[in-house]
Parts: sequence; structure tokens; C-alpha cells
Amino acid sequence: MASEPEKVVPPVEAPVAERPPEKAAPSPSTTRPTDYFAVADVVLRLLVFASALVSVVVMSTSKETEMLPNPRPAKFTQSPALIYFVAALSVAGFFSLITTLGSLYSLIKPGCCAKIICHFIVIDVLLLGIVASATGAAGSVTYVGLKGNTYVGWGKVCTLYGKFCRYVGASTVVSLFASVMLVLLVLLSVYSLSKKIPK
Amino acid sequence: METESYTNGGGVAKEIGIANKQTIRGNDFVLRFLAFVLTLVAAIVLGVSKQNELVPVQLVPTLPPINVPASAKWSHMSAFVYFVIVNAIACAYAVISLVLSLANKGKAKCLSLTIIFFDLIMMALLYSSVGAAAAVGLIGYKGNTHVRWNKVCDVFGKFCGQVAAAVVISLVGSILFLLLVLFAMLNLHKNRRH
Repeated sequence: MASEPEKVVPPVEAPVAERPPEKAAPSPSTTRPTDYFAVADVVLRLLVFASALVSVVVMSTSKETEMLPNPRPAKFTQSPALIYFVAALSVAGFFSLITTLGSLYSLIKPGCCAKIICHFIVIDVLLLGIVASATGAAGSVTYVGLKGNTYVGWGKVCTLYGKFCRYVGASTVVSLFASVMLVLLVLLSVYSLSKKIPK
Repeated sequence: METESYTNGGGVAKEIGIANKQTIRGNDFVLRFLAFVLTLVAAIVLGVSKQNELVPVQLVPTLPPINVPASAKWSHMSAFVYFVIVNAIACAYAVISLVLSLANKGKAKCLSLTIIFFDLIMMALLYSSVGAAAAVGLIGYKGNTHVRWNKVCDVFGKFCGQVAAAVVISLVGSILFLLLVLFAMLNLHKNRRH
């Protein structure tokens, strides 16, 4: 009868000793500092997508019809440079939407797909080239339409089609903002990569 | 590249880092030199482009057309002026960054970051100048009947050929700047601590 309490006590102590290490493990993962780079990444990508979308919509709806001397509409489809602008910014908007969703998902669940996130930087650099060239093309055509060119006999268009020129000019300015955001995005990625390099 | 094995992990990482810096530095030098040459050639080809022609102009329908001397120069079009200026700046920057990166050899981190930053800005400016010059050249080549802008290239053929050549050369130069940025980021990606 006296040996029974001795046998009962050791099994009770063993499970108690096992529990504290299990409780200590989850606590370090709950205290995580906010990753400012990831938040800034998502915000910048969202801005790029929004400005690309606004540019495409404003350029597509810029149609103006003049009644005198005969009804002649001014649309963006009449100039190959503006068609290239709309196509390039649509591609940029599509890819920036994909990368925004990817980095948002990576913000919610950190460390899930780090390899795919590394490929987003390459997409950003390529998008910067495309958006910059589209901005330059649309900007130069708009400038020639605004000021005219007496040497080659190209007349001013914006005195006749005021609304069209305003829309095209606004679209070009917004795409310039998109390319600046893309530059900031690539710089942010470069800076966050360089912080991880051992000195 | 050495293949000795070090007992401590820090020594092995440093060896790999030095080997990577040497290979990426070699690529950088060749790319920067080629970009310097190409942007210089593009700026010069457009900068010396000038063509004088006699254009027949019909003032009054009854009289025969009068030959009026007309010239096509790059300075007549603001998009071409922007193109020449940006290519000249990119060419000067390529020389400066070539000298700086050779002197630096990957030692000072903030200088490498500054070079990457300016590479990126130069790439964006070059792409925009290529887009601008190509757009204006296309209008001159095909004309635009909707806004009554006439073709220029059937009269000034040699000038248009020089514009096209300069745009293509500058496009290759801007692709080289893009490769410079991509290689710099690949270098950073390889050297980072996991």
C-alpha cells in the first residue's frame, strides 16, 4: 500500500515537465515588428496601377467632334504614338495589378513566396522602360500639336480641339507620375536588398 | 577563383563574395563602354544631320511652281533636340560611372547604390527620348491626314534615314542601360545574407 503513491507520482510529474517547452515556442512569432518596406512596396505598386488605369481611361475617353467646317472627330486612334501609349499603359497596369496582389499576399503571409517576389523587381524595371517610352512618345506628339511646327508646315491642333488636347495632356502627366512611382519602387527594392548584404 | 575550403563559415562567404564582385565588375565595364559608344554615335548622327532641298511651291495656280530652298535640321524639332541632349548626358554619365566603378571595385556600398540610382534615371530618360524621337519620326514618315500634317520624308529622304539610324542606335544603348541595372540587382541578390 505504501509503494502505490510512489508509482503514481512520477507519471504525473512527467507530463507537467513536458508542457512548459511547448508553451514557450509560439511566443516569439507573435511579436513581429511592422515591415515598412513591404507596406511601402504595396502602396507604391497600388499607385502605379491606379495611375496607369487613370491614364488609359482618360486617353480612351478623349474624343471630340468639331462641327464646322465639316464634322471631323479627333480620337486617340488617329495617331500611332497615342495607340502605342494606350497599349503600353494597359500592359503596365495589368502587370502592376499582378505584382500588387502578389506583394499584398506576401505582406499578409510573410515568407510564403520569396522567390517569386524577387522576380517582381525585373518586371518593375522592364515596366519602367515601357512606360517611359510611352510617356515620351505621347508627350512629343502632344507638344507638336500644341505648338505646331512652322519648318515642316504642321499646324497647331489644340486651338481647334481644346478638350482633346486637355485630356491627352492630363493622361501624359499622369503616366509621368506612374513612371516616377516605378523609379521609387525599384529604388526601394534595391535599398532593401542592399541592407541585407554583410559588410 | 580559389577552391580552398576554410574551417570557419565567414571565410568561405567572403571568398564567394570577392569572386562574384570580380565577375560582375567585368560585365559592368564592357556594358558601360558599349553604352558610352552607342549613345555618343546616336547623338552625333542626329547632331550632324542636315539636308538642303529645293521644294517646288505653287503660289498661284496659273504660274509654274517656284523652287523654294528648304532645309531640314535636327534643331527644328524639339523632340530631336531633347533626344540629342539626353544622349549627350547619358554618354557623359557612362564615362563618369565607368571611371567611378573601376576606382570603386565594389568597396564603398553607398557609391555602388548611387551608381545604380543614376543608372536607373538615365535608363528612364533614354527610353523616353527614344519614344519621343520615334513618334515624331513616324509622323514625318507617314504624315497624318486627320490633322493635315504632311509627310516630310519623301522630300528629305537622307535626313529621315539619319533620324531612323540614330533612334535604332539609341534604342540599343538604352537596352544596355537596362541590362546594367538588371546585372547590378542580380549582384545584390547574390551577395545578400539569407
